[in-house]
Amino acid sequence: MVGVRLDAAAYRPVLQPMSIALELGQVVGVIGPNGAGKSTLLRLMAGLIAPTSGQVLVAELPIASQSPRWRAQHIAYLPQLIGDDIPFTVREFVEMGRYSRESAWAQGASRREAVMAAVAQMGLERLLDVPLAQISGGERQRAGIARCLAQASPVFLLDEPIANLDVFYQLDILSRLRGLAADGRLIVLAIHHLEFAMRFCDACIVLDHGAVVAFGPRDEVFQTELVQRVFHIGVRRFADPFTGDPRLSVMGCLPVKDGEEREES
Amino acid sequence: MRRRRRLAFASLVLALCVAVALEIGIGPVYIPFWHIPADTIAYASGHRSLDAIVVGAIRWPRLLVALLVGAALAVAGCVLQAIFKNPMSDPGVIGVSSGGALGAVLTIAFGWSSRWLWVTPAGSFICGLAVVVLIYRLATFGRRTNLYALLLAGVAVGSLCSAIITAILDMSPLQTMEQMMFWLFGGLDGSNWRETCILTIVDGIVLPVFMALAWALDIMVTGEEHAEGVGVAVQRVKQIALGLCALIVGVSVSTTGVISFVGLIVPHVLRYLVGPRHRHLIPACALGGATLLALSDLVARTVVAPVELNVGIVTSCLGAPFFLFLLFQHGRNWQRR
Repeated sequence: MVGVRLDAAAYRPVLQPMSIALELGQVVGVIGPNGAGKSTLLRLMAGLIAPTSGQVLVAELPIASQSPRWRAQHIAYLPQLIGDDIPFTVREFVEMGRYSRESAWAQGASRREAVMAAVAQMGLERLLDVPLAQISGGERQRAGIARCLAQASPVFLLDEPIANLDVFYQLDILSRLRGLAADGRLIVLAIHHLEFAMRFCDACIVLDHGAVVAFGPRDEVFQTELVQRVFHIGVRRFADPFTGDPRLSVMGCLPVKDGEEREES
Repeated sequence: MRRRRRLAFASLVLALCVAVALEIGIGPVYIPFWHIPADTIAYASGHRSLDAIVVGAIRWPRLLVALLVGAALAVAGCVLQAIFKNPMSDPGVIGVSSGGALGAVLTIAFGWSSRWLWVTPAGSFICGLAVVVLIYRLATFGRRTNLYALLLAGVAVGSLCSAIITAILDMSPLQTMEQMMFWLFGGLDGSNWRETCILTIVDGIVLPVFMALAWALDIMVTGEEHAEGVGVAVQRVKQIALGLCALIVGVSVSTTGVISFVGLIVPHVLRYLVGPRHRHLIPACALGGATLLALSDLVARTVVAPVELNVGIVTSCLGAPFFLFLLFQHGRNWQRR
């Protein structure tokens, strides 16, 4: 079943028209250099910005014209930054995921159950009543994903969920996301780490200057030539001698041609 | 936390009761607090003894205006701090106070206030709202309000207003200047039952709406993008919250003049006591702001009696050092409670 469908959707001047259908039950990585439009694409899919032309369809309805509540019931969007100054406890933060499903003053068992299940699935029971400001970055990211679980939407859009995390939490978060996709969800995440993208994503969308330059299963997408062209780095691909996973050997930066300046965002 | 919260609410209610008894009892005519109910009933049923008139026609309206304005300012400050995610926010930031003061000063300078009594409050209210609308328009691009732009526009327009006010003050004769100073520093003398009614209606409509928005405000504190992600209608919440803050602060400023600091410190102190959730914070701010303003007025009336200070001076003089003391005590982990 299709989770999100882009129908010649564009957001000018950042994103060129693109037509993509993303099936439920998989992890899709959005990769590309800084300023390629990854965050904008996620916000477009979440319906937080309306396409300037074309359509973004969720459950066969154009999402940009739906109510915020409907959008949140169908798509859970988690921004890149979960502030380290948030005064709420993990429980209160995860509860916020229920905003689109319950009224503020209902003290029903359904809310408590949804929150406890989400917290348990992310292994945060121990930190339930600790303020977000006092836990580590990796635990905060887990709390963010638990909030998406409490939201009970079939599609998760995560903006760079492993940026700024140590290697343990990068692997921890990505393997938890794989597990969530195995339950039938569509997980779309912006990611900078190419080797982890190859290892954990079923499919990838490669963005460059606001256009999709490749979309498909990871083995089709991670072609040496494509990576070199998009990221301006010299790479060789090889199989990891211990795990057998595809790996990239990074040789160095390639000279940037005139008129093709890398834009920093 | 729950026990601490209960304790905090209990002490707030107690403090409010003490403030009520003191504010009604103390003054040139001393009324023992056990006489208050009897005198109130006497006034209501038409007896006109000295005590009954002092309690019914002077002290009660003054007390109620203090309570309602204090509650409005503190709650508005609390809501604006959530919307802006900025601990420095108070009702001043959206320009409603400075606009209101400018309106009042203008009507006095043109001499309209001596002809009709209602002109100054009306001018103050209209100018306050006009400034808010102007700032809101300046900071809204497309369908989105940029909160940083709003904050900065508020500061800029605010200082423009104070410059104009100062210019008018410079050119005014001494007598009108005195009248203007009342608006610039806020005062409660001359409070009457009509003002009490207006404030009761406005507070009675606005505070329940803020309570209904409590969860959305909680979520706004975690960031606008997060709020959008979980389904909060962010732009609508911003419009409602800013509009209603402008309304209650506008009505307050137009009755009492500018009273600073209540909207800034009360939410901070209470966030420390009852936690960050707005369903607790909003009622706590209403109680705390009301109590603070009533007690400040008591100090303003008594400390250098028979001269009355402006209550705004007292809130600043009491508020600033107390706030600095708290900041000094808890500064290190002010953000992370």
